Amino acid sequence: MRYGTYLVPAAIVLTLGSLACKPPKTAEQIKAETQAAFAEGVQAFKDGKARETNPYVNDKENAHKMQGWYEGWDKAKADKDAADKAAADKAAADKAAADAKAAADRAAAEEAARKAAEAEKAAAFKKAADAALVTIHFDYDKSEIKEKDRAILQGIADFMKAFPAAKVEIEGHCDERGTNEYNLALGNKRAAAALAYLKTLGVDEARFTTISYGKEKPLCTEAKEACWSQNRRGEFKLK
Amino acid sequence: MPRFLIRTFLCALAVFLGAGLAAQQTEVVLSATSSAKLVLAMTSPKVSGLDEATVGTEFTAVLRRDLDETGVIAMLQERLPADGAPTKAWREAGAQWLLSTKLTRAANGDLQLEATALDTAAEKGVFTRTYNANKIVPVRYLAHYLADDLVGRLTGEKGVASSRIVFVRQVSPGVKEIFQVDRDGAGLIPLTRHGSLTLSPTVAGDGRLAYVTYKGGAPEIWGQRRKDGPHEKLYPAGGGGGLVSSPAWSPDGKRLAFVQGDRRGNSDIMVLDLATGRARRLTDGNGINTEPSWNPAGTQLAFTSDREGGPQVFLMQDDGSNLRKLTTEGLYNASPSWSPNGAMVAYVSRFEGKFDLFIYKLGEGKAYQITTGVSTSESPAWSPDERRLVFTSNRFGPSQLFTTDLSGRQILRMSELGGCQSPRWLRGR
Repeated sequence: MRYGTYLVPAAIVLTLGSLACKPPKTAEQIKAETQAAFAEGVQAFKDGKARETNPYVNDKENAHKMQGWYEGWDKAKADKDAADKAAADKAAADKAAADAKAAADRAAAEEAARKAAEAEKAAAFKKAADAALVTIHFDYDKSEIKEKDRAILQGIADFMKAFPAAKVEIEGHCDERGTNEYNLALGNKRAAAALAYLKTLGVDEARFTTISYGKEKPLCTEAKEACWSQNRRGEFKLK
Repeated sequence: MPRFLIRTFLCALAVFLGAGLAAQQTEVVLSATSSAKLVLAMTSPKVSGLDEATVGTEFTAVLRRDLDETGVIAMLQERLPADGAPTKAWREAGAQWLLSTKLTRAANGDLQLEATALDTAAEKGVFTRTYNANKIVPVRYLAHYLADDLVGRLTGEKGVASSRIVFVRQVSPGVKEIFQVDRDGAGLIPLTRHGSLTLSPTVAGDGRLAYVTYKGGAPEIWGQRRKDGPHEKLYPAGGGGGLVSSPAWSPDGKRLAFVQGDRRGNSDIMVLDLATGRARRLTDGNGINTEPSWNPAGTQLAFTSDREGGPQVFLMQDDGSNLRKLTTEGLYNASPSWSPNGAMVAYVSRFEGKFDLFIYKLGEGKAYQITTGVSTSESPAWSPDERRLVFTSNRFGPSQLFTTDLSGRQILRMSELGGCQSPRWLRGR
């Protein structure tokens, strides 16, 4: 009798449960019922007895039967609606495309204008740079700024003030007379002399770098004074 | 003064001869035989397995030139007896030593050179040596080795026929690279391919190269930290910028003297310790100081400075102390090069718009002029045996390489390459 305590109530629960629950519908049954409901609806439509309400809307147990509901369907209207909707969609798409194109054109135009302005600015900068960055010259074995080159350096200082973003490299060069190494040091001295002079004209020296090429990059290679005097120079290059 | 006139005449003659001989690769420009030299005669080499013409150009001519340039051997050129003549005939012709050689190329291509030298007075052998070389060794190298050993037998110090010259050459406008060439002008090899200005080579005793290159825009010192190692940046460690030039390895190869310029126009001699990477300034930021050259002990430096106006050569200790001026005559003295034995400093001096080589003998406290003439001579560098100087000159063309003995009487063009600068001479083996 020990197990009866559990087994008897369990048996009662199982029996009552199986009586209370209907077995679930199989897929086959659902399909068949859906088909029947659809056929019913179609028949009603053919008979001219289309229904006002869907009898299955509130039939929670047979929600799938909604598929068979058919009521007052107007093919012409449906076609027209579909056509209207398609037309409306197309119009909207066309308008969007047109808007996008117009926006792109406007952006391109703006970009072009900006570029043109930039190019103009760059051209003005380049023109000013070309006009201002003129080569200066030195006497043999000397690094003093010559009287006649002061105007050039003033022009460079003015350019640097007019274009605060400009950075310039000062190159020191020498003629072929003298040793390679001494001329490198002399070129450094010449670049430094130009830098010091520009500093006295009020330009921030941090905007300049100096480099010496000694006698390694001559403009002219003939062994005569006309050539040497061209080579003893300070060049100014935008960085 | 008469001597000067004779020199001028000889130079003019040399230019004339040089123009006539320009088709040859190299030629003797000025040659005077000193009586102190040993007179050596050479029989035609016995050849087997090689083409006679090849031996003539690749061996006999090379050996003849090597020996002629040693400065201690004079080649007997005239009234030569026939090859099979007895020793007596050679002695009467003036030969003190008679050199016989035999060149053999084996079936596998390997070379063998047997050389014997005979003292014609005592009629006994003074030199015997056999050289075996792999087939990839050029025949001319055997001539160099033999010349070096003959000089070694005669003087106790090996010759420098197998040595090399490292120099800078312009490849295209604005592009210079470092090259190496054998002492006789053959075997040109590029050592750098930076495609930019590359200058001022210096070679350590173990062959490590250092130089300045503008490949990064601003000049930097590049070189080899270890023997046969890759070329890497040695200085400055960071970006830096500004002038860096004229590196020079210390004799022990542990330090590198170089020049750093500042933005006020000064340039100073610095010494970089390779092990620690620390650089120390030796000069005092007073004008231009450049072209450092170590003494062989590595305790002193010769350099060029314009602290008193024009460039002059100064000496100082390797800590910057004991500064003294070496050159007193002339307004432009530069490019000092301390000799391998430490007793002399070669430099250039400007006179009437062109440069000539001078040697300052430290023991005597006197300077001697080496080159004279209408053309300029620059960048002297010592041969490892201290018997010759290599330099650049424009006497026959744009900046070619020449060597001269210390008297300036025997000036030889090394090669016809133009646009050469900053030669350095190093032992080949």
